Amino acid sequence: MAELNIVEKVIALEAVDLLKNLTPDQLSRVASIAREVKFAPGRAVFEANQRLDALYVILDGAVELHSGDEVMHRAGQNEVLGAWALFDQEPMPVGARTVEDTRLLRIVRDDFYDLLSDNSEITAAIFSTLVRRFRALVGN
Amino acid sequence: MKAFREFWRKLVDVRPGEYLRTFFMSMYLMCVLFAYYILKAVSRALFLDKFDIDKLPYLYVLIAAFGGMLAYFYSKLAARTSLKTAVTTATVFFISTFLVIRWLLGFQMAFTYYLFNIWVSLFSIVAVTQGWLVAANVFNAREAKRVYGLLGLGAVIGAGFGGQFAAWTVFIIGSNNLIVASSVMILLSYVVFRLAIAQPGVTLAGATGGEEEHFSLVDVLSDIRRYKHFQVIIGIIALTYVVDVLVEFQFSAMAKASYKGADLVRFTATFMGIYLNLVNFVFQFFLTGAVVRRFGVGGALQVMPVSIAIASIITYAQPRLLTTAATRLTEAATRYTFNRTGMELLYLPLPAELKNRTKAFVDIFADRFSRGLGGMLLVLLITVLGLPINQVPLVVLVLTICWSVLSWRAQREYVTTVRRRIESRRLDIETARINADDAVMIGLLEQTAAGPNARQTVYALGLLVEVEGYAILPLLRKLARAAEPTVRAKLYEIASRAGAADLLEQAMAEIRSSRAGDNAASIGPAVSYAITVSPESVNLAPRLLNHPNQHVAEAAMRCLLPNAALATRVITPEWLAEASASPDANRRRLAAMGVEARGADELPRLAALLADREPAVVEEALHSAGVIRSRTCLNAAVGLLADPHVRGAAIAALAQYGEMIAGTVSDLMEDSAMPENVRRQLPRVLGRIPSQRAVDMLMRSIGHPDLGVRDAVIRALNRLRERHPELDYGGAPVAERIHAEARYYFELHSAVKPFRTLTGSRSAANLLAYTLDQRLLVTLERLFRLLGLKYPPRQMHAAYLALARGKGDDHSAAIEFLDNLLDRELKRYLLPLLDDAGRMAERGLDLFGIPERNSQEAIRLLLRTGDSWLVSCAIATAQQLGLRGLAGEIRDLASSAGEEVSAVAESALAAWA
Repeated sequence: MAELNIVEKVIALEAVDLLKNLTPDQLSRVASIAREVKFAPGRAVFEANQRLDALYVILDGAVELHSGDEVMHRAGQNEVLGAWALFDQEPMPVGARTVEDTRLLRIVRDDFYDLLSDNSEITAAIFSTLVRRFRALVGN
Repeated sequence: MKAFREFWRKLVDVRPGEYLRTFFMSMYLMCVLFAYYILKAVSRALFLDKFDIDKLPYLYVLIAAFGGMLAYFYSKLAARTSLKTAVTTATVFFISTFLVIRWLLGFQMAFTYYLFNIWVSLFSIVAVTQGWLVAANVFNAREAKRVYGLLGLGAVIGAGFGGQFAAWTVFIIGSNNLIVASSVMILLSYVVFRLAIAQPGVTLAGATGGEEEHFSLVDVLSDIRRYKHFQVIIGIIALTYVVDVLVEFQFSAMAKASYKGADLVRFTATFMGIYLNLVNFVFQFFLTGAVVRRFGVGGALQVMPVSIAIASIITYAQPRLLTTAATRLTEAATRYTFNRTGMELLYLPLPAELKNRTKAFVDIFADRFSRGLGGMLLVLLITVLGLPINQVPLVVLVLTICWSVLSWRAQREYVTTVRRRIESRRLDIETARINADDAVMIGLLEQTAAGPNARQTVYALGLLVEVEGYAILPLLRKLARAAEPTVRAKLYEIASRAGAADLLEQAMAEIRSSRAGDNAASIGPAVSYAITVSPESVNLAPRLLNHPNQHVAEAAMRCLLPNAALATRVITPEWLAEASASPDANRRRLAAMGVEARGADELPRLAALLADREPAVVEEALHSAGVIRSRTCLNAAVGLLADPHVRGAAIAALAQYGEMIAGTVSDLMEDSAMPENVRRQLPRVLGRIPSQRAVDMLMRSIGHPDLGVRDAVIRALNRLRERHPELDYGGAPVAERIHAEARYYFELHSAVKPFRTLTGSRSAANLLAYTLDQRLLVTLERLFRLLGLKYPPRQMHAAYLALARGKGDDHSAAIEFLDNLLDRELKRYLLPLLDDAGRMAERGLDLFGIPERNSQEAIRLLLRTGDSWLVSCAIATAQQLGLRGLAGEIRDLASSAGEEVSAVAESALAAWA
C-alpha cells in the first residue's frame, strides 16, 4: 500500500482528541512530522512500564492494549495510542501489541515540541483543548 | 528649606515652547482671581453694611440653594458647547450682569444685595472652574505636572492683589465703582485667554465648556445606609462646612461691629485677599508636610477640629475682632491644607468603585448642602431661639467635639485597613505614596518589616525605601541577621542603593560560605552589594568571577557589566580566552556575557560562542552581540532565528541593532533563498525597532506572497502602531493592501461555495471547505489589522471582536460605527463583505468581477494560488469528486511543485490511472 500523502494524514489526525481544536493548516504542519510505520502481527508497538516517546494513530489493522497477559482493550482504525504521553514523562502502565498487519502514524515527542516552538498558535489550540477537558472534569 | 527648594523646582520647570503659554495662562488665572477677590470683598461688605447681622444666615441659605442650582444648570449648558464659546459667553454674561447689578445698587433695593452675593458665588464657581479647564486643554498631562505650580502662584497673586487693590482704591473710587474695575479685569482675563489659546500647539477643538458630573442620589443614599464608614465620612464633611459657616458668621459680625462703609470694604478686602491667602499659602507649602510627618494623617484629621475648638474657647472668653479673625484664619487654613490630606485617609477603607461613585456627589452636593445647613442652623439659633452671637463659639465647640470623635473613628478604621492591606500585600503603592509621610503608616510598616513573615517583611521594606526622607539604615542593621534569604536579599538591595557598607561583612561571610550550586535568593544581591560598596572592589570582583559557585560568578558578572571602567579591568582578554575554552558550559556562558565588556575587540571569540552547542551560552552571546551591534555577527544572529531554543534571544539581539539593519532585514525577508522559518521571524525583529525606517521597510513587504510572512509583517506593524503612534503608517500601501485582501476574501468566498453543500466528514472536500472557511476568518482578521494601521487601532479591534461574535446588537453597532468612520472607497467594498453575506457572490461580481464558480472552476482557481496546503486539499478534492478535467493541471503540479504537493498529485493521478 502506498504511503499516505499529507491530506490523508490530516484526515487521520482529525481523529485525535488532543488536536481537535487545530485548523486544517495547523494539522497539516503536525502531519508533516508524522511518519507512517508498519507492524507485522504480534509485534510490540510499545512495552508496558516504559516511557513512551511518541503518539500513534491507527490507520488500519488492530492493536491490543495489555497489562501483563490481560488484554484491556482492542483498538482499531482511527484510534489513538499515547496521546497524552506527549505531555507526560511517566512510564505507561500498559503495553500495545499488534494483532494483525497494522499501519500507524507516529509523531515523536521531540519533533512535536520543536513544532510547538515554531508555531505558538498550535500550542494555544492544544491548551484550549486541555482547558476544555479540565472544565468538563470540574463541571462533572 | 527642602520644602522651599522642592516648591521652587516645581515652579520653574518650564521648558522651551511653554514659556508664553505658561505666562498667559498664569496671567489669565491671575486676572480671574483678581476680579473675584474684588467682588467677594465688595459684595460681602456691602451686605454687612446694609443689613443687620441676623440677615447673614439667610444669605448663606440662599447662596447654597440658588448659587448651587445656577452653577449646576450652567455646567449642564456648558458641557454641550465648546470651551471657547463657553468662556466667551460667560465673559459677556458676567460683565453685563455685574454692570446691571452695579446700576441696581444705586437704587439701594434690599434684594439687589442678596442678588449681588449670589452672583459673586456663581462667578467664583464658573470662572475658576473654567480657568482650570482651559489650563487642562492648553497643557498636556506631562506639562501640567510641571507648570501647574506656576499657574497656582498666578492665582494666589491675583487673589492677594485683587483684595489689596480693593482695599487701596475703595476710598478713591467707591465700592460701586470697584464692580466696574472687576468687570475690566474680567475683560482683561478674556484678552489674555485669547492670547493663551492663540499660542502654537494649542487647540481647543473638541474641548467642551464643562464636564457633566454623573451620580445617582438614590445610589449614594443607599451607600450611606450600607456603609457605616461612609456615614462617618459624610458626617465629617457636613460638620466641616457647617463649622465653616458658623465661624465666618462670627467673624462677619465682629467686622460689622468694628467697621462701616468703605472701611468695612477695605478691611474685608485686605483680610480675604492678603491674610487668608497668605496663611493658606504658608500652610500649604511649608506646614502641612511637617505636621503630617509629625502627627501622621490620623493626627492631621484632628488638627482642624482641635485647633478650631481652642480658637472658639478663646473667642468665647475674648469676643473681639482679633479672636474671631484668628479663628477664621485657623479654620480656612486647616481646611484647605490638612483637610485634603485627611480626605485621603477618610476614603482609604472604602471600596474603589464607591469612592469613584461618591466623588461627584461630595464635590457638587455635600459642600453646598452643608453650607445651607449651617445657614439654617444659624437662623434657628439666632432668629428663632434668640441665642446671642457671643454664644456661637460654644455651639462651634460642641460641633468640633463631635467632629473630633468622628475623626477618631475614621482614623481607627484607616489603621485597620492599612494593616490588613500590608498583611495581604495589597497596599496600593500610589495611595501609599500619598500617605507615605504619615507616622501611623510608617509605624505599621516598621512593625510589619520586623515581623516573622518574610514576604510581608520584604513588602514593607519595599514601601519604606520609597518614603522620601525616611532613614532606613537603622532598620536594615536591626534586620541584618534575618534568617530568611529573601529578606537578606532585600536588605542588600536597599543597602546597595543607599551605598551603605554596614552589611558588607555579613555579605562577604555569606559569599564565603557558599558552595557550588548554592542558589539562595540572597547570594546574587550579596555579591552585587559587596562589589558595589567594597573599597576593594578591583580585587574582590575577579575573585568572585572565578568563584566555584556559578551563581556567585554570574552575579559578579551582572554587577560588573554596567560599570564599564571596572569591567574592562577585571574582564581581561586572558580571562575571556580561558573561560570561553572551558569544557564547563557555565564558564562559557560567563565568557559569552563578558564579551560585551570588551566590545569589538573580541568579535572572533563572540562568533565562536554564537556557534556553541549549548543554547544557554548562545543566548548570552546573542545578548552581547546585540549590545556590541557589529555587522560581523549579523548573519549568525539571523541564522539563529531558525532555532526555537534561542529564537527569542536572537530577535531581541537583532532588534538592539536598531534601524541600522532595517534595510538588510527587509532584503532578507524578500530573499526566497532564506529558509521560510527564518523569513517569518524577521518582521518580529523590525516590529521591535521603533523607527520610521523600520515601519517603511515593513510597508515594503506588506503584500508579501507568503501568507506567513505577510501575517507577521502586519502584526509587526500593529505592534509598532500600538506602541509608537507618532510614526507614520499611512499612505497608499495600506489602502492598496486592504483592497487586495478584500478581493482575496471575495475570491475565497466564491471558491468555498461549491463545497459547502457536500456532506460527509473526514473527506478531502470537507477538509477543503473547512480550510477555506478558516482562511476567510484569518483574512477578515488581517483586514482589520490593516484598518488598525489607518484608523484608531483599539477601535478597530473592538469592531473586529464585535463582528467576530456574530449577529446581534454588537454586530449592528460595529457596522454602524465602521459606516461612519471608514473612507467612502473603503466602505464600498468592505461593508458588503461584513454585512451582506446573502449577496456576496453578486457583490463580488460587481466590485471585482469575480464570477460564481462550480467545483471544477473553483479547484482550478485554487490550484493556481501557490499556497501549498490549499493546493494539496484542492488536488485531493478533485480526486474525490472525480474531476478528471483537471488532470492536466494536476500532472503539471506533480512534476513542478514541492514534495508534499507532488505526493498528493501523484496519488490522484495514480487513482485515475
